[in-house]
Amino acid sequence: MHETALVKNLIHRVETLCADENAERVVEVAVWLGALCHMSPEHFTDHFRQEAAGTCAEQAQLRIETSDDINHPQAQDVLLQSLELETEDEAGP
Amino acid sequence: MGRKTIKVDYLARVEGEGALNVTIRDGQVSKAELRIFEPPRFFEAFLRGRDYAEAPDVTARICGICPVAYQMSAVHAMENALGIEVEGQLRALRRLLYCGEWIESHALHIYMLHAPDFLGYAGAVDMARDYPDIVKRGLSLKKAGNAIMALLGGREIHPINVRVGGFYRTPTRKELEPLAETLKQARENALATVRWTAGLEMPEAERDYHLVALHHPGEYAMNVGRIVSNRGLDIAVADYNRHFVESHVQRSTALHSHLREHDCYLVGPLARYSLNHGQLSSLARETAKEAGLGVTCTNPFQSIVVRSVEVVYACDEALRIIDEYREPERPFELAEPKASEGFGCTEAPRGLLFHRYRLDASGGILEAQIVPPTAQNQPSIEADLKDLVGGWLDLPADTLRERCEQTIRNYDPCISCATHFLKLDVRHE
Ligand SMILES: [Zn+2]
Repeated sequence: MHETALVKNLIHRVETLCADENAERVVEVAVWLGALCHMSPEHFTDHFRQEAAGTCAEQAQLRIETSDDINHPQAQDVLLQSLELETEDEAGP
Repeated sequence: MGRKTIKVDYLARVEGEGALNVTIRDGQVSKAELRIFEPPRFFEAFLRGRDYAEAPDVTARICGICPVAYQMSAVHAMENALGIEVEGQLRALRRLLYCGEWIESHALHIYMLHAPDFLGYAGAVDMARDYPDIVKRGLSLKKAGNAIMALLGGREIHPINVRVGGFYRTPTRKELEPLAETLKQARENALATVRWTAGLEMPEAERDYHLVALHHPGEYAMNVGRIVSNRGLDIAVADYNRHFVESHVQRSTALHSHLREHDCYLVGPLARYSLNHGQLSSLARETAKEAGLGVTCTNPFQSIVVRSVEVVYACDEALRIIDEYREPERPFELAEPKASEGFGCTEAPRGLLFHRYRLDASGGILEAQIVPPTAQNQPSIEADLKDLVGGWLDLPADTLRERCEQTIRNYDPCISCATHFLKLDVRHE
């Protein structure tokens, strides 16, 4: 059941960043899944959709990169890499 | 409106991380309390008002490490409620699916989460640097389990092909055959796993457990059976709530389970093995003997060896089922909704998983009760810790914490994810 906790935490982080940047909503979330993290992109997407409902990331597109390098120092982890945000001002890309 | 991209590089963490509070009085451990994160209650509420047919898909999402267990307990409970029995090849296919889950989940637990403890690594990543071939063997074993799940479940992690009454679609013989090759290879890897885990250095820690598992007269119990124990318990699944009670413990989001008459008990591989040893395949039994296991096992650290033996068995059993497979005439039995109550219990890789549902006349779920293995084992984990920590108090703080984490990982891959960051608080009174 740890994936629920993991994805919840990731979304909290996204929400905090979104608020810090005064953004309206999140357009895209890029994540990296380590080779030993035991989450397929499909599985991650399911959990993300479930936990993101009702948050600023509800509509976000997911860009998921999976690693197959078991020797990567973060092979057991899930990383949030970047966010694309929609802001009120003309902040530019 | 503008757009902007920000770089983050943030490591997702398990929230509600595990905490262990140990109290020492007069040099003795007087209390060991574990706080862990676990949210099945959310799913119980989420199921209310939904159609009975949705339960297998919804419950499969509770855990990515044992989705089949949740799904199987749910379908069995629904079939019990609606009065249908799934027999013959459909029953065999379910057992095959469950073998897939045991192989996958046990391999993950053994290689990625538990073995690093025995070898002194913080995790599988560090271990892979020095033991690349061993970690690869673990991954290959896990993949064999995945292959079964993908074929029968429709996809790898949260299977969607299981329905109340059977399957949406059953495989052809031709589709199953290639699995046999994969599984023969997996069985070799499983045998090597037993030999390897048997050689790991084990703390001596025999415990006097009340062991509880399913028992079936004709097979090593997975999906069906009566609930039995080494102290004379022998009840039908429907009587679960008459003998087991769940209670809220303030320090934890999880519920604790107790046996009304005997307090704490142990579910999982040690219980299954000790209660049903005679029903393992002869290969699994021989391998266990070679590994130095008796017909019962009550050292919690040896659960890694027992899990490996169960992987050998699951490979053997899966091969037997594939060999005897005949395509069934129809993929499922039809169920007629009615006002009813049903109970289901299966052996999740980490232990007994109980479900109960109450349905209205049109098959809507009025009430759902899900008791996961973790809730049942938590008092037992605390008892282990209380027993063992006393002998470790002279160790440096970090080593003590690692030992406690290892003790917790004897039980469960899911909570052990949370307890990679175990907060240990030792208080002297
Ligand atoms: Zn889990």
